[in-house]
Amino acid sequence: MKNGFADSIRRTFAIARNTVLEAIRNRAFLGMGIAAFGLVVSSIALSSLAVRDQAERVLVDFGLAATSLMEIVIAITMGVILVFKEIDRKTFYLVLPKPIRRSEVIAGKFVGLLGVLGASLLLMAAGWLISLQVKGISIPAGVPQALLLVWAQAALITSVAIFFSSFASPVLSGVFTFGVFMVGSSVTVLQELMQARKGMLATPGPARLIAEGAVAVFPDLSVFNVGKELILRIPVTWEYVGASMLYCGFYCLFFLAIGALVFQRRDFS
Amino acid sequence: MDEIIRVENLSKTFRTPFRRKRVDAVSNVSFVVRRGEIFGFLGPNGAGKTTTIKMLTGLIQPTAGTVSMLGGGPADLSVRARIGFLPEQPYFYDYLTPVELLDVFGRIFGIPARIRKERIESLLTQVGLFEARNRTLRKFSKGMLQRTGIAQALLNDPELVILDEPLSGLDPVGRKEVNDLIATLRQQGKTIFFSSHILADIERLCDRVVILDRGVTKAAGTLSELLTSDSGEREILAGGITDVSGLNGLDGVVRCETYGTDAVRIVCESAASDRLVGTLLRAGGTILGVNDRRISLEQLFVSRTIREKSCPATDNEGEVRGVSE
Ligand SMILES: Nc1ncnc2c1ncn2[C@@H]1O[C@H](COP(=O)(O)OP(=O)(O)O)[C@@H](O)[C@H]1O
Ligand SMILES: [Mg+2]
Repeated sequence: MKNGFADSIRRTFAIARNTVLEAIRNRAFLGMGIAAFGLVVSSIALSSLAVRDQAERVLVDFGLAATSLMEIVIAITMGVILVFKEIDRKTFYLVLPKPIRRSEVIAGKFVGLLGVLGASLLLMAAGWLISLQVKGISIPAGVPQALLLVWAQAALITSVAIFFSSFASPVLSGVFTFGVFMVGSSVTVLQELMQARKGMLATPGPARLIAEGAVAVFPDLSVFNVGKELILRIPVTWEYVGASMLYCGFYCLFFLAIGALVFQRRDFS
Repeated sequence: MDEIIRVENLSKTFRTPFRRKRVDAVSNVSFVVRRGEIFGFLGPNGAGKTTTIKMLTGLIQPTAGTVSMLGGGPADLSVRARIGFLPEQPYFYDYLTPVELLDVFGRIFGIPARIRKERIESLLTQVGLFEARNRTLRKFSKGMLQRTGIAQALLNDPELVILDEPLSGLDPVGRKEVNDLIATLRQQGKTIFFSSHILADIERLCDRVVILDRGVTKAAGTLSELLTSDSGEREILAGGITDVSGLNGLDGVVRCETYGTDAVRIVCESAASDRLVGTLLRAGGTILGVNDRRISLEQLFVSRTIREKSCPATDNEGEVRGVSE
């Protein structure tokens, strides 16, 4: 076929567009987004921390952490039901016989969810920054970089969720994905424990072996967390952001490719 | 190329994961669908029709056998681009309007924006949904959803239309509409493959049929082939004769009975029919009709499927009727 790649992109975006539409028209999702927005704004606006310096630290850190966590929640919940719902509701019977590859369907779902994550990220970030302004706290310089990294982390978790959901039930996929998130967030802690002089992971043994395996296999999510730098007003360079995005892209490709491979072989009966 | 679909020795075995029970949903099914025909895929519930159609549309992989269609296989995008498919009880993105739904599919097909818009409007008009085009599908009735399903199956102006039970669950008006639509599609030169357990509609519409039962082909061929019983018998209807007992003794007569008040119906061996017509005319009778004895599709269906299950030795004679009306 001529223009094979352009066609592939076109089909992927057709699915992505529909995925965004689905999220926008989903009342539960909209409600969740608005609730999260309200929570961030109100908790910051209403906080009455006494010490000026402490308030600044907490509000900067809290806002970013809350935004990041909301993104993870959206990534996991939507990521695990995205494919399942289409199978469960049998809407795939109409889509898959069309001239489209199953890998394009998976990629389209992923891209669509990236859009949803991006939009909700902007919304929550707006709430966060506005409330910082209201409190008279100057906005740290590295905010765009920090938000981009939050988005990248959510993308990575989305790909993990899609990977698991290609063969496991939504609940199991959710649990597994959350597990990956937890381990991935603790990779640096594990490394520190292994380098410590004392403790379970410091000496050779099964626990250390497992920890070593985890460090080697799981994505290190601390890469995407620059809250500390933000508070300490340490600049986050675009080179760092670029490298982190590459790191993220590598893992996304890996998980999506396996997910698509499993999906490809699946019977829809 | 005259062959649109060629299915050879197609089989699908489902395995339940834990109990390791096997279900042979489709066993060794072969058939050919030719360009421009309406092909009926007939069988009771659970016969394996939907399973076969899912193998045609690439939703499931065959356990064995091959499907070739439109010069390729079910997985080829260029083949799929020329197929329209209506699943059994279609499910839709119910947060979309029919216009939006068709737009998503139109984008997948790669129909350019302007043509897409026009095509969608004309299709929705054709299936009678133009008024409802901006309502979400969530609010659609079953009949409206079925029409939406038909519209999406025709979106790419397909050469081959595969319809899985398009008539089941519709009211008589809906059934007539779909029937008419299928007839129109054939006039446009499209090839139609449709499955049903509704015999009357298959009988009315289809050029050729395959009868499937528990995954196995029970009969295949043109309707006239299938409906002509292979008993080699003919039926003569003669007026002006009432003496049944005299006729019963004649050479070649299988059975004879009065028909109305002033006629007889004679079932005879085909080879003897000319001679018997002569005999009847000389006896002062008038010939009202001579027909090959045919059975209805329904009787064929019942005799080839249910009979083997429950009453293998039933004498089928009584069920046979002439199709002379
Ligand atoms: N996923 C599946 N697992 C096990 N058995 C199945 C599955 N899908 C269909 N079957 C069985 O295969 C047979 C054929 O089903 P189907 O093709 O849906 O029949 P039809 O469409 O003619 O009514 C039935 O006995 C059905 O129970
Ligand atoms: Mg069926």
